[in-house]
Amino acid sequence: MPLYLPIAELSMNIFLVIGMGAVVGFLSGMFGVGGGFLMTPLLIFMGIPPAVAVATESNEITAASVSGALAHWRRQGVDVKMGVVLIIGGAIGSFFGAQVFTYLRSLGQVDLMISLAYVVFLGSVGGLMFWESVRAIVRQRRGIKPKLKPREDRHKAWIHALPFKMRFRKSRLYVSALLPLAIGMFVGVLAAIMGVGGGFVMVPAMIYLLGMPTNVVVGTSLFQIIFVTALTTIFHSVNTQTVDIFLAVLLLVGAVVGAQVGARFGLRLKGEQLRALLALMVLLVCAKMGVDLVVEPTELFSVGEAGSH
Amino acid sequence: MRLLSLVVAVFWALLMAPSAIALVTDLSNKRIEIRYSFDGADLILFGAVGSSAVDPVNDDFDVVIVVRGPEANTVIRQKAKVGPIWINNDSLTFPSAPGYYAVAASRPLSQIASDAVFASYGIGFDHLPLLARTSRGLAAPDSDFRSALFRLQASHGLFRQEQDTVVHIGEGLFKTDIRLPANVPVGDFLVETFIFKGGTIKARNRIMLAVDKEGFERAAYDFAHGYPFWYGLVAVLVALTAGWLAGVLGKK
Repeated sequence: MPLYLPIAELSMNIFLVIGMGAVVGFLSGMFGVGGGFLMTPLLIFMGIPPAVAVATESNEITAASVSGALAHWRRQGVDVKMGVVLIIGGAIGSFFGAQVFTYLRSLGQVDLMISLAYVVFLGSVGGLMFWESVRAIVRQRRGIKPKLKPREDRHKAWIHALPFKMRFRKSRLYVSALLPLAIGMFVGVLAAIMGVGGGFVMVPAMIYLLGMPTNVVVGTSLFQIIFVTALTTIFHSVNTQTVDIFLAVLLLVGAVVGAQVGARFGLRLKGEQLRALLALMVLLVCAKMGVDLVVEPTELFSVGEAGSH
Repeated sequence: MRLLSLVVAVFWALLMAPSAIALVTDLSNKRIEIRYSFDGADLILFGAVGSSAVDPVNDDFDVVIVVRGPEANTVIRQKAKVGPIWINNDSLTFPSAPGYYAVAASRPLSQIASDAVFASYGIGFDHLPLLARTSRGLAAPDSDFRSALFRLQASHGLFRQEQDTVVHIGEGLFKTDIRLPANVPVGDFLVETFIFKGGTIKARNRIMLAVDKEGFERAAYDFAHGYPFWYGLVAVLVALTAGWLAGVLGKK
């Protein structure tokens, strides 16, 4: 059944769109990730213009993060103060990210920027995750237990030296506000140019850089993602009018169902195995993007429309 | 330039004066509405010629039908290898390339008239007048970019030539199919019909065709482009509501 998408200005099979949402939803439910880094490349691959894919996926991530954030909220798993600092940073980052996105779009280089961003960030995050999970699996087999560092030592000296210290009670932290602000900003830029929530960068940064306790990490990151992707949606809508609500809602319908099934499926696997699988998937998307950049395209020319109709 | 246009005008008057063939055409649908289920449209063009100079019963004539969509600023980009990667390196802008261009004919164009005749009317992929924006102002485009424009648009189903044939029904009546793909641009389309006989044009006429988004699709598009901030805000509210609903339903 074809459905005409008024903003993307093309016709897509409605079941295909819902199916894509379901597959990505399944994977994100299984691994407990947002799935933006899978959905945006998939949309581009299916022929949706990159600008529409990124902006629309931002909109879908807002929706997909709400129920998770609410669940964590009820479990007291959100550090609101930390979240607000991360959101302020995210708003700044997203604003500038969207400006760069609009500028590069007018130059015809937005596809390149998206591909490069995916290769760099997915490559490094996927590589680290893969390395870490393989080491954990090997250690477990050998029966080695990693030594836990005492809480006081988790921060490096340079982090202690930063000014504007702030107390975050829920995270039991006394740390410079500049650090979460910078993390939020970085994630905001990624959200605007890659069409992702940025959890894959934010969660490790919260654990390893900020030293937040794990019980508030996911909730706080989802809390930030809702606001930052919402702002990103508005920025993209104002700058480029590329947010397709219909596409976003259809993807969400599939994603909701897929995520339920995926979450149940994920319970059967061990944490390290899940992380290793997720890392492989991240590296796969990265490799696909990278290969497309390096291999000589069969058609060197492309058509784009600049300006109004 | 003025002299040239004068010559063309005189030539045109001479050409048209003796023939005065009555030519009428009509479309099965003159207004195409893009709605949620839009997946392209097939139109039928009907036409008839009266029998003054062209006698349709005894005499064969040829028909060429040209459909032109609204003009748009179209950019063609060319990738080149920079370091290890392929990036868009060069580009050429066609400020007024038609968003849709289809040529249907009763026979292969080469059998209907000479290249020079089609060139003088700008009919066909090879002769469609196109200018590109260059550093020296508007100029004839580089042939690589020009052919890329036609190749790419043809691959998207937006440019068509000699894929549809004009069928003679008899008694001067003819028809052809016009295929508009799902990604057709919105706007006013010009449908021109040329009657050829003996390699020259004997009659021509033009009718309009409108393609427009309708109903919900139009409202959404107009809202997104007219009030982008409010559209973005609504998109966010829809997402928040849908996400919350999904969470509630998911628990049950």
